[in-house]
Amino acid sequence: MVGLPYDCLANPLGAVRSTFDKAMSSDSSAAALDGKDWGAAEVFRQFLFDDGGLSQVPWLSSSTMKWVQPNTLVRFRGMIQDMLGNEFYVGAYKDGDKWITNKFADGSHGPSDASSDVRIWERRLLYCTPVPGQNSWVECAPDAMRNPYISAMSPLREKRQREDEATESDADMVEPGHAIEDSPNPKKMREDGVAFEPFNLQKVVTEGSTSNSSTPPVERNSVSCLVKIYDSPESDLKLNEVFEFVGIFTFDPDLTVPIDDKEVMDDFCEDELLCLPPSKVPRLHCVVHRKLGPSDLVSSPHLELTTPVIKEIREALIGHLTAVLGGDRLPAEYILLHLLSRHNDYNVQVHARVDEVAVGKLSLNLTCFNKENMSVFGNNLKLVIGSLMPFTECLPLTVDYLNSVTLAPKKDYNTNRLVSGLLQLAEGSHLTIDETPLQSGTLNSGGLENAQVLRSMMESQKVHYDFTYYKMEMPADVQFLILSEGKSNILPADLVLPFHPSSVDPASGVDGEMLKAWRWYLATMKSLPHSIDPPLQKAVEDDLVAARQADRSLSREDFSRWLTMGRLMSVSFGATSLSMEHWQMVKELERLRKNRFQGNL
Amino acid sequence: MASDSSPINTRDGQSSPDGWPTSPVSNTVSSPGDRPRRKRGRQSSYATPSPMPTDSRARTPQATPTSSSNARRRARARRSSATPTSTDDVPPSSDVGEGNEDDAPVVYVWGTNISVQDVNAAILRFLRHFREDPQQIEGKYMRMINHVIEMEGDSIDVDAHDVYDYDSDLYTKMVRYPLEVLAIFDMVLMDMVGRINPLFEKHIQARIFNLKSSISMRSLNPSDVEKMISLKGMIIRCSSVIPEIREAVFRCLVCGYYSDPVVVERGRISEPTVCAKQECLSRNSMTLVHNRCRFADKQVVRVQETPDDIPDGGTPHTVTLLMHDKLVDAGKPGDRVEVTGIYRAMSVRVGQTQRTVKSIFKTYIDCLHLKTTDKSRMDVQDPMETENEASTGDDDSTQKSEISVEQLKELSKQPDIYERLTRSLAPNIWELDDVKRGLLCQLFGGNALKLPSGASFRGDINILLVGDPGTSKSQLLQYIHKLSPRGIYTSGRGSSAVGLTAYVAKDPETGETVLESGALVLSDRGICCIDEFDKMSDNARSMLHEVMEQQTVSIAKAGIIASLNARTSVLACANPIGSRYNPRLSVIENIHLPPTLMSRFDLIYLILDKADEEADRRLAKHIVALHFENPNSSQLDVIDLPTLTAYINYARKHIHPQLSDEAAEELTRGYVEMRKRGNFPGSSKKVITATPRQIESLIRLSEGLARIRFSEVVNKSDVIEAFRLLEVAMQQSATDHSTGTIDMDLITTGVSASERMRRENLVSATRSLIMDKLTIGGSSARVMELLEELKKQNLGGGAEVHLSDLRTALSTLSAEGFLAVHGDSVKRI
Repeated sequence: MVGLPYDCLANPLGAVRSTFDKAMSSDSSAAALDGKDWGAAEVFRQFLFDDGGLSQVPWLSSSTMKWVQPNTLVRFRGMIQDMLGNEFYVGAYKDGDKWITNKFADGSHGPSDASSDVRIWERRLLYCTPVPGQNSWVECAPDAMRNPYISAMSPLREKRQREDEATESDADMVEPGHAIEDSPNPKKMREDGVAFEPFNLQKVVTEGSTSNSSTPPVERNSVSCLVKIYDSPESDLKLNEVFEFVGIFTFDPDLTVPIDDKEVMDDFCEDELLCLPPSKVPRLHCVVHRKLGPSDLVSSPHLELTTPVIKEIREALIGHLTAVLGGDRLPAEYILLHLLSRHNDYNVQVHARVDEVAVGKLSLNLTCFNKENMSVFGNNLKLVIGSLMPFTECLPLTVDYLNSVTLAPKKDYNTNRLVSGLLQLAEGSHLTIDETPLQSGTLNSGGLENAQVLRSMMESQKVHYDFTYYKMEMPADVQFLILSEGKSNILPADLVLPFHPSSVDPASGVDGEMLKAWRWYLATMKSLPHSIDPPLQKAVEDDLVAARQADRSLSREDFSRWLTMGRLMSVSFGATSLSMEHWQMVKELERLRKNRFQGNL
Repeated sequence: MASDSSPINTRDGQSSPDGWPTSPVSNTVSSPGDRPRRKRGRQSSYATPSPMPTDSRARTPQATPTSSSNARRRARARRSSATPTSTDDVPPSSDVGEGNEDDAPVVYVWGTNISVQDVNAAILRFLRHFREDPQQIEGKYMRMINHVIEMEGDSIDVDAHDVYDYDSDLYTKMVRYPLEVLAIFDMVLMDMVGRINPLFEKHIQARIFNLKSSISMRSLNPSDVEKMISLKGMIIRCSSVIPEIREAVFRCLVCGYYSDPVVVERGRISEPTVCAKQECLSRNSMTLVHNRCRFADKQVVRVQETPDDIPDGGTPHTVTLLMHDKLVDAGKPGDRVEVTGIYRAMSVRVGQTQRTVKSIFKTYIDCLHLKTTDKSRMDVQDPMETENEASTGDDDSTQKSEISVEQLKELSKQPDIYERLTRSLAPNIWELDDVKRGLLCQLFGGNALKLPSGASFRGDINILLVGDPGTSKSQLLQYIHKLSPRGIYTSGRGSSAVGLTAYVAKDPETGETVLESGALVLSDRGICCIDEFDKMSDNARSMLHEVMEQQTVSIAKAGIIASLNARTSVLACANPIGSRYNPRLSVIENIHLPPTLMSRFDLIYLILDKADEEADRRLAKHIVALHFENPNSSQLDVIDLPTLTAYINYARKHIHPQLSDEAAEELTRGYVEMRKRGNFPGSSKKVITATPRQIESLIRLSEGLARIRFSEVVNKSDVIEAFRLLEVAMQQSATDHSTGTIDMDLITTGVSASERMRRENLVSATRSLIMDKLTIGGSSARVMELLEELKKQNLGGGAEVHLSDLRTALSTLSAEGFLAVHGDSVKRI
């Protein structure tokens, strides 16, 4: 294997260009490359995956943004929050006799004279935000991402960087001179002052959360990012999916020129980019992207996937949950099933179905929480769930809250952006709704709408996005856990379970390895396929019929719930098909639940 | 006429030293004068300061041939000959135009081999000779031009289909090189207008619309730049009207001299630095005189994809439109529009003051024509109108594009189509096959009939579902709602009378009263689904009377008296009054709906939850299959939703079945039989088993059934099936439980004939009892005592006498003046 003539990491554009030149030399018409990849992506893929270059690529976060140089390769993980449509750009132009490409670059390189040939290509703009509710353990440890440049820099330089960060970074930007050769002299930029902003974390955070409502408050260590996608079919990337992008980080000073002329405001073509100045939102020219599933987010504990191991982990996890819930084992069992639930789309295959029933979801309503035990158990429970699931959100349900917020995302036509609501959640998020602070009061129309949105999301796993003139249904996959005093009528969950703590047991500390194993267990089991054997199917059907003959009040919802639980139960043991044993366990659980319910009443 | 001074000719100028790459597509022409104005839209290319000079020059081409233009033309001729087939594959126009002067050098659109003269001639021919039908003496567009001249209008709408039909070559050129061809188009128009009326000074533009193919916003790509396109979308934002300066007049502050109008060049007006007056020549003294400048209206409009075009997991795309002059304010936010225009890409300048451009393009559509389409979801045309609307030529091809008519017809020929459709309707709802058949009839609908005398008969079928909770009534409703071409889903509890019909609102700004349509009006020609019908307020329900039979909503309030169309089928569902259906009570008593309203439903289904093990098993099986994705238990033989929708739409639009004689006979026979059934021998009771309303329902149902088969004739079998459907529905809802016969009185009055008989008996028994026991003006008797007495007598053939029955009887008697009831005591008067 010969070494590459260019450094993919530090000079990705060089790689792009050289592959372009190569392609052009073999096939001299730039038109042939319209909307196609000429092998650049292949080079990067090889570098990243085959040659293990991926681990060297720094993550893009607000801290790394301080030192990551423009026009280098970075990684970014985020949820697609909005799609800004396509952008046309000068893909390639002829400078003299030579074709030069602008792909993967933001620069204002243009043909020097108007008469030269240009090819217009298009790219997709995606606005990606940090995943809502992402827990800190999911984040890639910043330590692993050593700044590769620092070691290369002299200590003096490093010092200078601290002293005069802004100037330094400014200089950094200009350093890869070949990249900005055509841009206006950097001096002007420096005078503008705007160019410094991305390097000032504090400012980014405050501005991001106050001045622009559509940018969700920047959390901890992450930034939002405008990702430009090349040559990828539209169906690959969907709203609210979590992706990992590897791409070229660019910073184009030209774009930061403040638009002072008011005349432009009439002409709102540029609006969407206006509210996303590069000073706040970095640009990323994506070379490779990859969708992240639940198991991509947890680190594997290097365990054999054997039944006893799984059983052991399961037991330990339930034990932990029981301890957290004050020694109440039944809710712990249910919570485990609940955490494993996933709204699966396989009922889509029966395409003729309009009123799709959300299959596979298992929302849980734990009752008998009050203000006192909420502070103990509720918070502990939230913490535990937060430490187990990658994306968790909590929502305290109060009348004021419902009346004041907008839960569903809404399209703002003034900025032409989708304003994120709390319910714009990534696939597989967990939402805890705390109903204990709810007091009686009047809901206004907004509150009513919010309640409806919540309810429809829970029942059908669909969120209605508000597009002013119409509503658009977006599928969601969110687990709902409701903590309330009595049965929640606002949000009727699939399962209602009174919760009876017996002891206040401060949750014993769990070591990191154990947590890792649990996370891995949950993530892996969640994505297991599942089936049912015909004999058992018959048995299950018989059971259902007998149950209904005995109790006419059983509805299809009950049946549906049992089957979901059956699936989750066997999945929790790592089995891929339902067994009689697990089915009996479900029935036993349900019996216990019913008893408790009657005892409670 | 080889017009030296035509815009095309001046479009030379790739040599412009400081030209911007505004025209990134290499095969188009841009002129130095034109290019900067691109930003302001197409008009600028021909909105020359004063049309007249151009015009005159155009008519006298050889009058002022400047050497420079000649040289330029020659230069271009060379260039075009050098690359005759370089970028373009449009065949050269073969027809030699009549206006092609033999000795004039052929002028080509730069970069192509399209000859300007040819295009010119082709357009001229098209405008002169195009006729919609050969009988017409005057061409369609000649007539329009004359009309425009009379009206002093400023544009004519050119149907692109006409262009295509007349000269497909011209159409292709127009779509591919709209800038050039439209400029020629306008030249030709101007020329023609000038000939007809030399004094007509206005500039007439051609507005092309109705292109052969429309493109989806999502698929716009760089190759569409500078092409004529048409797309559909929804306006989401309009800017305010922007006055755009076209020419400016300056005045010298020193001497008061007015400059000649200065034309916009490269998007800006260059202010003269020196006063042009020879005597003055003061420097920097010129000031803009606003009153004497010429402005044009401009508006920026944003259009967004309609919801049905958005793929899963995507957000809608938007595109910017630039509208000029007459098009300004042609649409408002929320309108669904069809736009024809030229897709343009404009480079973005780095700063307002800088000439450097970014490598990114802003795209927009220079709007040529804007058509507001109907707000409804699909069917613009009337699906159930009495007249066949074959004349409306523009079939919504987009909707049926995937499922061809042939396929649908093929489907309709299958013998079991009726069964298949029934199966395909809400396949995940078990059983209820007859209900589904009824709903199917409702979806297809009958024929509306309008007699010349003004009487009209509705074609819509109304259905009421009554049933126990948990019998998936609401799911059926939701399903139908999603399937129907237009429909509103409301819940009875949340609906008010005005919300259903229409209400008058005052516009806060203008103070005008406006009508806002309610659910029923909005679902005109669709299905209005009303859930929880029983929980609706009486007031709201009473509004339905008119809608369900007359199919209109009349409003008389606040200065507005209007009658709105509400040709909607109503699909309602209700729960029985005691949440579970009580078989001992009548439908009316069970659901507590006024009989007047009940009778307006063609079909009333009772969906009862029976303890049936077989049904339970199927349910269990179904749910298990749902969860475990077992392919062998999922039905394969269902028609998928898009096909079903297309099928229904096609049938509603194109099939208008007529009753055959045989069917009519069967109908009469069946009806008579139904009525006869009430008067079975040995019964003196009058039981009405059918009313004229039923025969109307029957006709509608059988028409719907014929439609299902795509048949233009209603067969006998349809009528028989309609009878069966009606009977199934009636048996469930209108059976008199005490006698077992169908009694329409149950529906129409809520009281069955046998019940009425029983009541009469009781009244007479009470009367005789009181006659016996009480004397006029004598002591009073207690009601309970009377009840005991009556029970002893055991009247009514063993039927239990209830206190409430007795009270009813007593009140009847007191109304006759026979006795007086005071609380618990009864007194004979």
